Amino acid sequence: MRGSIPVALCALVLAAAAGASTEATPGVTSSTVTIGSSGPLTGEAAAAAGVLKGADAYFKYVNGRGGVNGRQIKFTYLDDDYDPSRTVENVRELVQQDNVFALFSVVGTNENLAIRDFTNAAGIPQVFSAAGATTFGRDYAKYPWTIGYLPPYAEEGALYARQILATGAKTAKVAVLYQSDDYGKDLLAGFRKGLGAKAKQLIVQTVGYDPTTTDVQSEVAQLKASGANTFMVFAFGKFAIQAFVYANKLGWKPQVYVNDVASASSIMTLLPQTTAEGAISILWGKDPATPKFKGDPGVTLAAKIIKRYVPGGNPSDGFLVAGMAEAYSFVDALRAAGKNLTRKGLMNAVTHMNEASNPFLVPGVTVRTTPTSRFPISAVQLQRWHSRHWVPFGAVVSTKF
Amino acid sequence: MANLAQQIVSGLASGGIYALLALAIVIIHRSTGVINFAQGELATLSAFICFALMNHGWAFWPAFFVTLALSFGGGMVLHTVVIRPIQGGPLLGIVILTIGLLIAINGLTTWIWGGTSQQFHGPFSTAPIRVAGVAFSKQDIGVIVVAVVAMLVLGLLFARTKLGLGLRASAVNPSEARLVGVPVPAMLAVGWGLACALGAVAGVMAAPSLFLDPNMMQTVLLYSFAAAVLGGMDSPAGAVVGGLVLGVSLNLLGTYVDWIGGELRLATALALILAVLLARPSGLFGRSIVRRA
Amino acid sequence: MRLKLLYVSLGALALIVLPFALSDFRTGQLATVGAYFIAILGLDVLTGHSGQISLGHGAFMAIGAYTTAILVGHHGVRDLATIPIAAAVAGGIGLLAGVPALRLSGLYLALATFGIAVVFPTILKKFDTFTGGSTGISFFGSPHQTGHGTGVTILGAHLSNLQWLYALTWVIGVALFLLVWFLLASRFGRALRAVRDSELAAAAAGVNRSAYKVTAFGLSAALAGTAGSLFAINIAYVSPDSISIQLSLYLLVGAVVGFFGSIWGAILGALLIEFLADVVGLIPHVDTKQAGPTSFAFGAILVALMLLLPLATRLGAAVGRRGYPRPR
Repeated sequence: MRGSIPVALCALVLAAAAGASTEATPGVTSSTVTIGSSGPLTGEAAAAAGVLKGADAYFKYVNGRGGVNGRQIKFTYLDDDYDPSRTVENVRELVQQDNVFALFSVVGTNENLAIRDFTNAAGIPQVFSAAGATTFGRDYAKYPWTIGYLPPYAEEGALYARQILATGAKTAKVAVLYQSDDYGKDLLAGFRKGLGAKAKQLIVQTVGYDPTTTDVQSEVAQLKASGANTFMVFAFGKFAIQAFVYANKLGWKPQVYVNDVASASSIMTLLPQTTAEGAISILWGKDPATPKFKGDPGVTLAAKIIKRYVPGGNPSDGFLVAGMAEAYSFVDALRAAGKNLTRKGLMNAVTHMNEASNPFLVPGVTVRTTPTSRFPISAVQLQRWHSRHWVPFGAVVSTKF
Repeated sequence: MANLAQQIVSGLASGGIYALLALAIVIIHRSTGVINFAQGELATLSAFICFALMNHGWAFWPAFFVTLALSFGGGMVLHTVVIRPIQGGPLLGIVILTIGLLIAINGLTTWIWGGTSQQFHGPFSTAPIRVAGVAFSKQDIGVIVVAVVAMLVLGLLFARTKLGLGLRASAVNPSEARLVGVPVPAMLAVGWGLACALGAVAGVMAAPSLFLDPNMMQTVLLYSFAAAVLGGMDSPAGAVVGGLVLGVSLNLLGTYVDWIGGELRLATALALILAVLLARPSGLFGRSIVRRA
Repeated sequence: MRLKLLYVSLGALALIVLPFALSDFRTGQLATVGAYFIAILGLDVLTGHSGQISLGHGAFMAIGAYTTAILVGHHGVRDLATIPIAAAVAGGIGLLAGVPALRLSGLYLALATFGIAVVFPTILKKFDTFTGGSTGISFFGSPHQTGHGTGVTILGAHLSNLQWLYALTWVIGVALFLLVWFLLASRFGRALRAVRDSELAAAAAGVNRSAYKVTAFGLSAALAGTAGSLFAINIAYVSPDSISIQLSLYLLVGAVVGFFGSIWGAILGALLIEFLADVVGLIPHVDTKQAGPTSFAFGAILVALMLLLPLATRLGAAVGRRGYPRPR
């Protein structure tokens, strides 16, 4: 790979220059540590920015209790409207203007891809990216400063495939609605791979839609017309809701599989329950509205934090809770990196995580990383929507195939 | 076969929304000669106002009528304050100003209500009704009916009433209209008021299925332009027929032409705009204006 | 004329000195300003001087950006070499587009170009084998990227990556500005403005209106394509969402602020696009983390400008003020 030698050399030079020109690590003082992020505060993916708000709330909570190793966490995040070029500009600003110590939870696959070469050339930690592409956990040899957090979308799709094979391979006829971008296509590709040889036989129709579409009624009607009895909803936000609404409207009652990002209880309760009943999704963060977690200390804490630090925040917003889970892990890593905080020290901590006590994650889902295994969350549980609640079922399963 | 019928029915419902906004665009073009690029954003703003009122406990219909009145008044004020000063100048300047309005209003709605989508509960039930294997809802019927009624009312207004005559005169020949006593500035303002009121209807009808967010009408705007162009920019009937035809065609093309699918519908609408503008600018219903230069 | 030369010299001096006075980050921002400047020059030629409106200039920028990205990322072409290619490709498509554009009157041309700008990202996503789809194309650190993203040494002096981008963009920007200036002051420019002001008179004077209008379209597209190419080189990444309808509209704002033609105006317009968010953020109680207030400011500025200075007099005055030789 001709590209990597110059990059490595440049990284060395930069590291040396960085080391020579500044005494202390950027973004770190004796009393503060500054981290930055970029996300879609506006635009079609705005709901996903809840991750940043949730993390911000958790950091404020930690600061209120003395911070980490005596340092207060300063978290700055900027709007990129889900446009990766803006992410690049934001990251430049964060790194050169705001002198951040590390980037945390940058949202979006393309957004993280756009900055990855830069962060790795400059030795800036790009930690716990809020993006589901497999590459963030897999390609650490080339990009040692980058690490994801979420279970990859491709693996989620594969998990649904396994479930279908296990419960109805003979009779299943699958229709797939997918968002025509990396998000939906990753899910679809993983799903196909998970079905393996049976993919051609089981999938009767797939329809993609562009996120600029106004609504997907026509697409859903087309899928219903294919005669499928299983409906994969690999769609985001309002399109996922529309998928349910239109399936209901058309009198179609398939077994629905809905992707994790679209499955928050707050959304599911709004859907026509005849269609939503029995829908299957995955679960790794605790959903406060799930009866199983009622009274759970993690959920109670989350509600408390949201109430205090997220004005107008909905305690059962899955994105907020996911953000808090990430922030919890980040604080863990900061603590492990010690009082003498360096970027290398942070990456070391982040690649040696063994966290079983994250209050916002489902019991059995642990955050575990090694330098050669960089999928912090690699286990999830399946859940089924029943009587207006999510009910987890089965064992916690690994997403590593 | 059932799917074909279904696609047609759904297409009519989407088309109804395009038709309503297209009507607003046509009204302004017919009465002031301007293409109002901000029409979609104004419609979104109206929908948000209705939403805000309902959040404060108002029932739908009172909120809707107040929104309608505010939109009508707002449209008149907008014209008087912002368009009238440059009405006499080059059309290009007015168009650029409406672009400025587009940007400003989109920014305003994002500023006030944030970027996330909200659920909007419309007046008509969304419970499905199924006839002969085709499903639709009262909401769908409502949209189509409202669009057709609006078209008839406006058609009658322009053709049969004194107000309509005044509106048409002010658009075609303001100086002569003034001579015969038509209050031209007031007429133009009324034209804008009507259009914004129609936009409010479009926004409120669209919000239940499209979900309310600041960018809700951005794509609809392009579809509505296509509908207006297809129908001839000056014909209310053309706008509505254009909208319904567009809705159905896009559904059928999207379903039966794999390459278009769900991804190229917008591009198809654009292709339609270009084709009509280049081949037959007067659209299906308009009258050709021949310019000799 | 001497005053003009003084202004231009001062400007050139400022351009050379600035990167050493400002932080690296600000220098990087000024490099982006340079790209916008070139794009606005293109709009000046098209709308200000040939009277054809384009609400979709972002599409030509995108064409230039993608040409560069595809050549560097997929075919290993040196990034600098792709700049003239991007200009040529965009310019060629502009010429082709200029022909049907002749048939569309101002209003309908605005409509058509608006539609193109809105739809362009979808088309980029559809032809994904070519364009990388919604993932886009990244070439940061590629061996064909001058400086590999870490900096460049010229004549013994080391420039950081952002300083290099600044130098590249502004050298090209100033060169293009001079080119456009002379072109517009020449017979070509006079004929163009004649066509803009009165098609009848121009025809009577023997000016081939169609040829000039189409050429203007092509020229302005080539400029936008160059800007797009520089933009791509700056970010080292392109995606369908990089050049949105919003950017096309902001370029229009920039051009209007620039009174459709004067150099200071174009620079002011470019600066506005890049820095308005920062300016708005200075207003107390306004949270610019979110894009709403800044968009509102852009729109309000455009509306205010259009109200305060009627376009016709502005165009006319601008021509006179810039000192293009007028027939005596």
